[in-house]
Amino acid sequence: MAEIPNLRLRLPNRPENVLVVRQALSGVAECLALDAIETNDVNTAVTEACNNVVAHAYEGGEGLLEVDVYAQADGLAVIVRDHGIGMPAADEREREREEQSLGGLGLVVIDSLSRAVEFTEPAAGGTEVRMQFGAPGKAASLALEADEQELALASERALGSNVELQVAPSAMARAVLPRVLSALAARAYFSTDRISDVQLVADVLAAKAGDSISGSYLDVGVNVAPRNLELRIGPLQTGQGESLVAAAADGLAPVIERLTDERHRVARADGSAEMLELHLVDRQR
Amino acid sequence: MPSLATRPQSTLRTAPAAPNHVREMFVRWQRDRDPAAREALVRQFMPLARGLARRYGRSSEPFEDLLQVASLGLLKALDRYDTDRGPFPSFAVPTILGEMRRYFRDSGWAVHVPRGAQERALKVRDAQERLANEHGRAPSVNQLAEYLEFDIEDVIDALQAVQAYDTLSLDAPRPRADGEVVAYGDTLGQDDERYELVELDATVSAVLGHIPARERAILRMRFVEDLTQTEIAERVGISQMQVSRLLRRSLEQLRTLTQDAG
Repeated sequence: MAEIPNLRLRLPNRPENVLVVRQALSGVAECLALDAIETNDVNTAVTEACNNVVAHAYEGGEGLLEVDVYAQADGLAVIVRDHGIGMPAADEREREREEQSLGGLGLVVIDSLSRAVEFTEPAAGGTEVRMQFGAPGKAASLALEADEQELALASERALGSNVELQVAPSAMARAVLPRVLSALAARAYFSTDRISDVQLVADVLAAKAGDSISGSYLDVGVNVAPRNLELRIGPLQTGQGESLVAAAADGLAPVIERLTDERHRVARADGSAEMLELHLVDRQR
Repeated sequence: MPSLATRPQSTLRTAPAAPNHVREMFVRWQRDRDPAAREALVRQFMPLARGLARRYGRSSEPFEDLLQVASLGLLKALDRYDTDRGPFPSFAVPTILGEMRRYFRDSGWAVHVPRGAQERALKVRDAQERLANEHGRAPSVNQLAEYLEFDIEDVIDALQAVQAYDTLSLDAPRPRADGEVVAYGDTLGQDDERYELVELDATVSAVLGHIPARERAILRMRFVEDLTQTEIAERVGISQMQVSRLLRRSLEQLRTLTQDAG
């Protein structure tokens, strides 16, 4: 058994996606009952690590920014990963720290605000920054373990979406998913009306995740276009796609059906699990 | 560039304590109160304070003010630093950021500083209403951010934070577009059945009774009549933010209740 992340975000390393990461972390912080200062420290340190991936990891080109969040017995760990050019050699880093140059200041900030930080270069290339934060109490109850096998599955399945979020169905999903989708809806120029509708849809998906997914993560891929969010949700147990759409509010009025575009679709990935495709559109001019 | 295989994992925590000449300077300041030593330390570490002020400042604040606040944090750090506890910057950064946080607490720099956030939520609520009245539709986050001169992130936070403000008077009577002050109760019809949701199964009928009439009415307007949240806000006489909060809360209640009933 190995420790597995509660949350994984995979996004293109664009500046605007750092805001998405920060929203997700605010959700994590809320779920772990961190206070304002702790939340701010986590957000600031992780933002620095993400900004570094945005600015330097791919030498100005585009690549993947990955963020893993672990709730642990003694706190919170966040890994920020890229698959870029790797990090400056240790002596160069030390020099940057001494000079407090831009990159160096980021490192000093991360170092100061986290309990421990570790920089590694995985065999596959790129850089990993692992930051530990103290978060007494609540984090322990959310810690996850699983077979390595299962984790590998979760990271390999590519959704081909702009932004991908994998979250273990739990209180964390309920805190994180609405925030992440709100941030993306805002980017898609949704009105506040429709952003609130997006939150209602996210609430349903997160609340129902435990009963509807097949596997250990709810996987949400999002394509963002002006006034249009395309969501791909999976992997779902057979029949759960339609039942999420139709019966989402327990027979009240079907929340997802009412709030999303009618052209939803249930697709089958690799013959077993279902994927639900939803379109959220803001039709107001 | 060496690969991982050729060099051990590095950990910044193992970074050496202050170099000797810096240690000496700290001793001369902290023990002997030698002002020249303090001046030398300030000169050496001012780039750190300046860097933080520039990095975390907001364009709305004059840079000189920020620099002053950051410098104050630096002076405090010079007094309190223990030379045996790792490099000075690791100690100074939280101190300087703490000083900047205090300074910005009311102008909304820090994420999730409750008082600032609550005030921002109210401003977002009011701007939402004003812009909706002007344009006949709910504004986007970008429009709100531009109108209020807030960061996009502040507005998104406000839209989320509103869910937590149970005690906040989002509900208070407010002037309508025509200037009439209307409390929400006045605009709700008294006949309950008008607001009943259609096609209820037995389970839902049983639990819906636990949802207050106003929330049932709002659920119906959104999910049966397909009114937008702004239209509902206008009809009921509350803010769209409050409509959003009530919808989220009553759907959550319904989920919990049906789970219990099932």
